[in-house]
Formats: sequence, C-alpha cells, structure tokens
Amino acid sequence: MDNFIKRYPLWSLIFFLLAAAFLCLVLAPWPPELVAVWGRKQIFLNALLGGITLGALYFLVAAGFTLIFGLMRVVNLAHGSLFLIGGYVGYEVATASGSWLLAFPTVFIVVGLLGLLMQFFIFSKMEGEELRQTLVSIGLSIVFADLMLWWWGGQSYSILAPQFLQGPMELPLVSNINDATGVVTWLRYPAVRVWILVAAIVIGIAMWLVLNRTALGMLIRAGVDDREMLAASGVRIHLVFLAVFGFGAGLAGIAGIIGATFQSLSPGEDTRFLLASLVVVIVGGMGSIVGAALGALIIGVAEQMGFVYAPTYSIVLTFLIMAAVLAFRPQGLLGTRR
Amino acid sequence: MNAPVVSSRMNLPGTGNASSGNALELRGITKMFGALAAISDVTLSVKPGERRAVLGSNGAGKTTLFNCITGDFLPSAGLVRFFGEDVTVFPPHERIRRGLRRTYQISSLFTGLSVMDNVYLACCGVSRNRFSLVRPRPDDALVQAAEMLVEAVHLTADKDRLVGELAYGQQRQLEVALALSGAPRFVLFDEPAAGLSPTERADLVTILTSLPAHIGFIIIEHDMDVALRVADSVTMMHNGRIFKEGRSDEIESDPEVQELYLGGGHAHH
Amino acid sequence: MSVADQAPRFASPADQRMWSERIPAPWWILGLILLLLPIVANNFWLFQIMGWTFILGMIGLSLMFLAGYGGMVSLLQMSIAGLAGYMVAILGPSGAANVSLGLSWWIVLPAAFLIAALFATMCGALAVRTDGIYTIMITLAIAAAFFYFTRQNYSIFNGYSGFNLVLPPKLFGVNWRDPLPFYYLTLACAALCYGAVVYLARSPFGLALQGVRDNPRRMAALGFNVTAHRVAAYALASVFASTGGILLVWQNAQIAPGTIGISSAIDVLVVAVVGGMRRPLGPFIGAFIYVLLQVFSTDILGFFGFSADRFKLIIGIGFLAIVLFSPDGVLGLWDRWRARMAARKAVATGGGA
Repeated sequence: MDNFIKRYPLWSLIFFLLAAAFLCLVLAPWPPELVAVWGRKQIFLNALLGGITLGALYFLVAAGFTLIFGLMRVVNLAHGSLFLIGGYVGYEVATASGSWLLAFPTVFIVVGLLGLLMQFFIFSKMEGEELRQTLVSIGLSIVFADLMLWWWGGQSYSILAPQFLQGPMELPLVSNINDATGVVTWLRYPAVRVWILVAAIVIGIAMWLVLNRTALGMLIRAGVDDREMLAASGVRIHLVFLAVFGFGAGLAGIAGIIGATFQSLSPGEDTRFLLASLVVVIVGGMGSIVGAALGALIIGVAEQMGFVYAPTYSIVLTFLIMAAVLAFRPQGLLGTRR
Repeated sequence: MNAPVVSSRMNLPGTGNASSGNALELRGITKMFGALAAISDVTLSVKPGERRAVLGSNGAGKTTLFNCITGDFLPSAGLVRFFGEDVTVFPPHERIRRGLRRTYQISSLFTGLSVMDNVYLACCGVSRNRFSLVRPRPDDALVQAAEMLVEAVHLTADKDRLVGELAYGQQRQLEVALALSGAPRFVLFDEPAAGLSPTERADLVTILTSLPAHIGFIIIEHDMDVALRVADSVTMMHNGRIFKEGRSDEIESDPEVQELYLGGGHAHH
Repeated sequence: MSVADQAPRFASPADQRMWSERIPAPWWILGLILLLLPIVANNFWLFQIMGWTFILGMIGLSLMFLAGYGGMVSLLQMSIAGLAGYMVAILGPSGAANVSLGLSWWIVLPAAFLIAALFATMCGALAVRTDGIYTIMITLAIAAAFFYFTRQNYSIFNGYSGFNLVLPPKLFGVNWRDPLPFYYLTLACAALCYGAVVYLARSPFGLALQGVRDNPRRMAALGFNVTAHRVAAYALASVFASTGGILLVWQNAQIAPGTIGISSAIDVLVVAVVGGMRRPLGPFIGAFIYVLLQVFSTDILGFFGFSADRFKLIIGIGFLAIVLFSPDGVLGLWDRWRARMAARKAVATGGGA
C-alpha cells in the first residue's frame, strides 16, 4: 500500500478522491440538484446494494470455478450446471422437508459428490490435456442441461425464504431526509439478501483463512504456483484435487439454492451463471480467491447499475469492463502472469 | 563444405555500417527471478564480425544472457544495443528483423514439418512474405534461399523428411540452418555442439569457421576444443557475472581459468 | 494444444504434375456425386439437409482453421457468421423496413464481409492477449455479450424479433432460394472455402500459423510477430464464417438473436470436434452428422422410445463419446481404421511371401 502511494502519487490521489466521493454518495443525503440528475437516492442505494448482493452470489459460484482452474487447470464449463442442479435439488429438499436451512448441507453434499465423481472418473484421467478436459466439460453441460430439462421441465422454480428472513430490514443508511419535518427515512432492504451477503463474506473469509493459514491451504497454494513441484514432493496430490473439486462443486450447488431464493431457476440459468463466473474470473484473475471476490463485486455492481441507469446497455457495460481488463491487464486484476 | 554459402546470394544490410561501433553492446544487464539474480551487471561488447565464446559452468547465466539479448526475457536492469540501436525493450521479432539470430540449447524445431518447410519458414520470418497467402513456386527466391541453406548444413538428402524423423545430430544442424536464414548480422549459438559425435563436431566447426567474415557471433560451448577453434575472444561467466575476458589463447593458458574450468579432466578428440 | 498434428508439407518442387492429376480418385467421385445429387435427391434433401450441412460446415471450417492450424479454439465463429448475416439484413432489404436500409447487393455483400472481418479482428486482438485455454473462455464471453446485445438493441439489431423476409438478390434472373439453385450456390461456396483452406495451409501464412501453434517462442525468434499472425488468422477465418452466415440468413430468410445464441456457438464447436479438427474436411462431416441427427431426431429417438425433445441429449452424449474415445473426431476414427486395415494387409502379404 505504502509502496503504491509512493510509486503512483497521482493515481493514489485520484483513487482517494473517488473513494471519498463514493462514500459521500452512500452516506450523505442527496441535495435536490443531484436528485434532479440521477433520480432519488433510494434508487441508487438499492442498485448498489443489489449489485453487492448479486456480487456475493457471483462470488460463491466463481470461487469454486477459479479454485478448480487454479489448482487443476480444468476449465470446468459444466460449473453452471452444478449451480442449476444445486438449485433444483435444494428446491426439492426444501419443499419436501419444509426446511430452507436443511437444503444447504444436503445440496453441498450431493453436488459436491457429483463434482468428486466428475473429477475422479473423467478429469483426472486426462490430466494435462486442457483442451480435452474443457471439451468434456462442455459435453457434460449439454447432457446435464437436457437431463434437468427432462426432469424439472421448462417452468421456473423459486424457493421461499424461511419466515425469519422474510420481509425488509432497516439499514443504517439514510435514504431521505424530509425537508419540512426533518424526519430521517432509513433504507429498507430485503433481510434475506442482507444475510446472504453476510454469509458470502463469512464463507469468503473462511476460504481465505483456510488457504492462507492451514497446512491444506498451503498445499493448495503451492499447487496453484507449481504443480510439478507439489507432485514431486510426494504429497498425495490427487486427494487434494478431489477435495478442491468437491468443495468448488458444493459451493456452486449452495449458490444454486441462494439463486433460487433471490430470483428463480429455469433452464438457461446454468449458462447465465457460467458466463458470470467466466467474466468474474477473467476480470478478477484466474486462480485467485480475492480476485474472484473483487471481480464478482465489480461485475455485480456494474450489472445492477447498468440495469437501473442504462437498461439497454447493461450487458455492454459488463463486457466493456472485461474487454478493458483484457486489453490492459490480460492476467486479470489480481492474477499473476504465468 | 567450405565456401561461405550464406553470403553468396544475400545482400546484407549489416555490412554498410559495420565500422560504426559495436555489433552488440550490453551495459549492466541484470535479470532477477524473484529475489534470485540469474545474471547481474553484465557489461559486454562485441564488434561486427567478431566471434566470441562464452564459457562457464551450468547455472552461470549464459542462456539467460542470450534470452535477454533476444528479448525472450526483459532484463530487470541494463541496456542492450544492437548495431548502435537501443533494443532493450523491443519484442524478439523486432530484433530478429534487424539481423539478430539465435539457436537453442535444446533443439526447438517444428517437428511436424519437413526440413525444407522449417528452413523456408525461417526465411519467410525475416522477409515481407510472412503474410503471403500465395503458395511459393519452386523458383521462388525464398525457396531457393532455403534450399541453399539446407545444402549448407548437409541436409539436402533429407530435405523432404519430417524433422521429427531426423537423427539428433541432423536436428542440431538444422538449428544452425534456421539461425543463418535471411541476412543475419549477428548470431547467438547456444551449445550447438552438445550431444554431437566427433565427426559432427568437426563438421560444425567447418560450418562456423566458414561463415562470411561480417557475421559475428557469440557461442556458448562446453567443449573448449570447439569454442576455442571458432572464437577469437572469450568471456568467462561465473555465478551470473563476467569473470574474465580475453583473447582465446590468453584464456586457454590462464591458470585461474585452468583451475576453474578445465581442471576436471577435459576430453580431447 | 492437443489439436496439433502434422501439417501438410508444401508442394515439393519435384511434384510437377498438373493440378488435376494431383487430386486422388475418391475426391473426383465425391465431387461427381455432389454435382449429380439433384438427379436423385428431393428438394427437402437439397435445401434443408445438404444446404444446411454446407453452411454449418463453412462456419465449422472457420473454427477448424483457427483451432487446427492456429491452436486457437474460438467460440466466436457463430457470432461472426451471425454478424455478417445481420449486416445483410440491416444494410439490405428485409421485412423490418424501419431498420433495414435496403441498399443493393453489391454494396451489402462486401460491407457485410468487411464489417464481420473488422469485428473478428477486434475480438481476435482481445482473445490473443492471453493464450491456451483462456481463448475458449474469452471467446465464449464475447459471444454471449454479442448475443445479449443483439437482443437488447433495437436501433440496429431490431432486438428480440430480429429480421425476417431477408431474401437473396435475384441475380441472373434466378431465385437463389429455390432448392436447386440454393443447393448449387452453397455447394460452390463450400467447395471454394474448402479449397481456400487447403491451399492456405501450405502458403507462407498458413505454414507460419502452424508454426505459431506448435512453438510460438521459436516463431518469434525467426522474426514472426506471433500476435499479429494470430489476429490475422481471426480476420482470415472470418471470411469463411461470413460466407456461411450470409447463406444461413438467406436459407432461413430471417435472423434473430436465437440464431447466434450460446448453444449455437457450442454447436459449431461440436460440429468441428465431431468431424475432426485436424483436416478441413472434418467440419463438413461433423455438420452432415449433426444435421442428419437434428432432422431425423424424431425418428431416431422414437426408435429408442424417447420423445423428440431429447435431441440435445443425443448430441451431448455423442459429443462426449467422441471427445472421450476419439479426440480427432470421426476422421480420426477413419484414419485409425485405415491404418489397421493397412497393417493387416501388410501382415497378410508379408506372410504370403
């Protein structure tokens, strides 16, 4: 940080000013002139929060994708299918048992097992053949998509959040101050989204801690940096691979439940979330968890902001971000060049 | 083979300004890999037409030095001048188009292509025909040039064979041919004799000594016999630094060098 | 990349035969069959099956050119084809008269090729910033972005509904959408594209592209600008894709975002991989198989007791089987079968002597 400020004083200043302006936008009540240009503050805050919570969802999907790529060099294009399977299975479990919370461990285990099977029976058999692995994952995604269409049909499903998470909650953010009465309106936001954001942050920090503070994490990071060395050091690398694949798949499955609670599930969501993960990891940097978090945040916020302020071009905005990153920093914002 | 085959057809841009300064000039080249300095503060200049041997044990930084000269790596610090022009940050292909060539320690050839195709590609690389969509006719100038190069390295009989099928020694010869394509002004040979039989080595020495006089080169070679026969001067490297420089005969008789480098029973032919 | 294979050698000077003598007999037979097909085949076969095969084959061919010779597996080729098709609809006459400009064909066609080539060059320049497996991800993301953009944008791409009534010009008084003329039109275009790829593979550019695929670092050390070469390959491949795309619009008489959706982009990959990405013939074989499965899926699936909706399942399983058991596609299977036959024959004759 100090280094950066010393090396790029001008950029640091600009960043600092931008961050300060942004904080003002979020915390202070908006003057009427600003409202005239940008609309009500509530809309802005809602878009921002929507973007952050969407980013949390993207992070859960993309984290597994980027870990699997970083460690095993498998570009798993069936990752979106794991998301959708997780959502459908979660729906079944939640409706059958009536417990939203029970769906999480069940789905984590079921989809994680599916990931283990994929790694054990297919991807580990063609280690090092990146293109072939990718092609196989495309084939799997076609098959999964059609099987799911067969079983669950074309209609959309959504999972109801449990009672204690339903309805809005008040956030300590000023939405509006009434000029005449001086009454402060606080921003109200769906509780379930807030809690999911909290959960994603907790999961993200837990992953970071495991990666940076435990022996297993050390192994995984060593494997990301230098697989040959790790393999040569006698570690049972295949077990680590299996664990990471299973974990990444399970995470995608859990994200499926969350996606079904946030929005809804239907055929095609697998592709949507696969693409989101692709863009997130291209922007954030392949193989980096922190990069995935940053990328997810950027893409989520850009998508929601675009959706609110320039609906025709929201996709283009996301794409332009990706193109700009590719043009100026092809390894991604936090990626390392290989 | 004894005629200077390469110069006979090709006009050489390098000959004109050969008198102005050095062909290659390195100033304070340092290359760090993480915290490790593969080479540090290497300053070196080679005159046009000069032949220089770089000696040193494994890990002395010789190949890293080559990679910095060709632009495969950007040096962490320092300056590379090629015929007076600062090329430090140029991409490799820009340096090659200015007349720099190299061979690789481990043969780096197109094994799925024929011998002729390999040499023809090398000839295309430095010509305007790079992007040509028209197939060459047999009397195409580049095809002719490629044939001459193939002949120069004694591979005419095998010119239509796939490179993957060639014997090891032949592949090493082809490496040399690729480095002599176009109009080279300066060549970096990275252990061209490694793994060759005594007769192949003798052959290689003939090829190198009969290069046109204006083509200078640096040769990395473990075989002192080969190195001292083709080079006028020698640079010794040790632990990434230049350790000693001098004329070949001086170095050969230098006691320190003898101690460090030739001490371990040097094989003779 | 594992699609790497032996490149064809460039014509050795010793081969002084006429071009017609250098083409082996099976090719003459195939050509004759294709030329005379209209005598026996009905309009459905000519227009739907063969026409679609050639079109899909050309788009697949552009992928094969990039992947087989350049080692770049691009999922963008359908988008490029679609853009060329869109340009024909936007610049020329169509049913959406408020958007289409209605220019005449001799402006529209070159402009379509040019714009598609520009788009391909720009996307290629982005995609080659990283290499290897990243290419697939980046091109997939760009293809998806283009798909969503056409769906959202009404001022240029007419949004969700796209364009209908896009008809080929009535050149020489022929209605080129009639089955027979359309068959010969697509056949001629496919043959031209195929011939071009075969020819280019042995040109300096094509040879260098294969060099870049196998050893980019060495190519740079020979004076080649590897990045420029890759980008140029995208531009060149766009010509084949655009040809297919324009014909596709004419065949369907319409284009909409669905034409260039993600599943279509994947279909092009499926076609090329199933046929075999090592040789230019592969995509056409893959396309033929794909089209047959698609058109007759009801019958095939019904035979096994499934409903016709399970077409994608068949495609997915078939694709998986090919990737798992014969990475070189159907052509690879054929090559291995021939090699085994030749070996058996050699053993037989060797034993007899």
